Amino acid sequence: MYTSSKHKELPMIVRLGLSMIIVAMMASSLQATEDMSKWLRPAEVPQPKDNKLTPERIELGKFLYFDVRLSSSEKISCATCHHPKQGWSDLEPTPKAVGHEGAVGPRNSPTVLNSAYQSRQFWDGRVKTLEQQALGPIEADVEMNMDLNVLIPKLNAIKGYVDLFEKAYPGEGLTKKTLAKAIASFERTVVSTISPFDKYAMGKKDAISNKAKKGFELFKGKAHCIDCHDGFNFTDGSFHNIGLRDGELQGKDLGRYLTKRRAAWYGVMKTPTLRDAEKSAPYFHDGSAGTLHEVAHVCGNGGRFKHNVKNKSTYIEDRKLTRPELSQLVSFIESLTGPDMKLKIPTKFPQ
Amino acid sequence: MKNILLSLVVASSLFAADHVVDQKGKTFIPHAINVAVGDTITFKNSDPFAHNAYTDDEANEFDIGMQAPGKPASAKVLAAGTFSVECAIHPNMLLEVTAN
Repeated sequence: MYTSSKHKELPMIVRLGLSMIIVAMMASSLQATEDMSKWLRPAEVPQPKDNKLTPERIELGKFLYFDVRLSSSEKISCATCHHPKQGWSDLEPTPKAVGHEGAVGPRNSPTVLNSAYQSRQFWDGRVKTLEQQALGPIEADVEMNMDLNVLIPKLNAIKGYVDLFEKAYPGEGLTKKTLAKAIASFERTVVSTISPFDKYAMGKKDAISNKAKKGFELFKGKAHCIDCHDGFNFTDGSFHNIGLRDGELQGKDLGRYLTKRRAAWYGVMKTPTLRDAEKSAPYFHDGSAGTLHEVAHVCGNGGRFKHNVKNKSTYIEDRKLTRPELSQLVSFIESLTGPDMKLKIPTKFPQ
Repeated sequence: MKNILLSLVVASSLFAADHVVDQKGKTFIPHAINVAVGDTITFKNSDPFAHNAYTDDEANEFDIGMQAPGKPASAKVLAAGTFSVECAIHPNMLLEVTAN
């Protein structure tokens, strides 16, 4: 076997020193990689053990997601309020979701994008999994207004669906449970694509503008956005009352407090992802901000109401961001916009 | 008999331990602990922002409340069992407590 005689000739202490320098260099290089890799979406999408992704489940879930027959009026599908053409949020950019027969819901439609990676679903985090989430909007009277006890027999009368459910969930039948599992399976495939910022994080230094780079530094520094919008999904899943309203919230949206009357949950909502945010205006749970500039101003400069807000998050402070700085932050957020994911929206449905 | 009981109570409280759990990088460190009934858990907050440890475990229910950076806060373990502690702000933070 060939061995390097040159290394053998070096004294032990020098060899050790060289080794340590090499290891330190490798660690330094690794550290640099790790620092930026935390911003990249993990390739693996979290999946529950009893509902692993398969092509059959995804295809079935896609049909169901876009099928208006899941609503009592047969005019509304999941996609009506969570449409790919609008960043997986409301196709009509109204502040609050419009559902069954024009009923206005209590909140702005959140995006479905990357929801597979979130540990709580809905603005108020009232359920943990997409399977628990999937049936809620179907039943809600201001959304699809469909009684599941009507829907399941209705779907069971459609042979095309019965066959697809059997292929996707052999022996499990077409039930509320498999309906939720199928829709959740499709939702798990709704993930962010490679944005200019991702290319920048992977080492292509000219992938984003200098203005966006300044925005990224503000994001991590002076503006403190990273305190909540942390990680590859640009949210750490945390809950805050950012001061969109002042005083008591009597008659208003109490947020997570509705799930349990814990003091810390008064008026708090889940931190949304910033990925593809450019596509999904308006913003906030009440749809009260029309532009990303306004969002940056509200979150970075102390909330819409700076004082007299019950349970206002201590994370929201007046960072005294200037107009140019807000503009840089917006440029950075816009650099998180990726191309639309490849998707063939169904035009024909199982019969 | 009274003296024996009193001695036992004193001995019990003398042996109660305090388990320090840090909240750093939006993580409980350590993320799992073994304790005895009567012990306390002291939560440190080494992050530059607030946390709020709580558990909804029926026998050990506590809510530390909003905990500013650098301010420790404690809770007493009241009953045996295994329960989870979460942060009311950061639901991804989880601490598993096994009490014997």
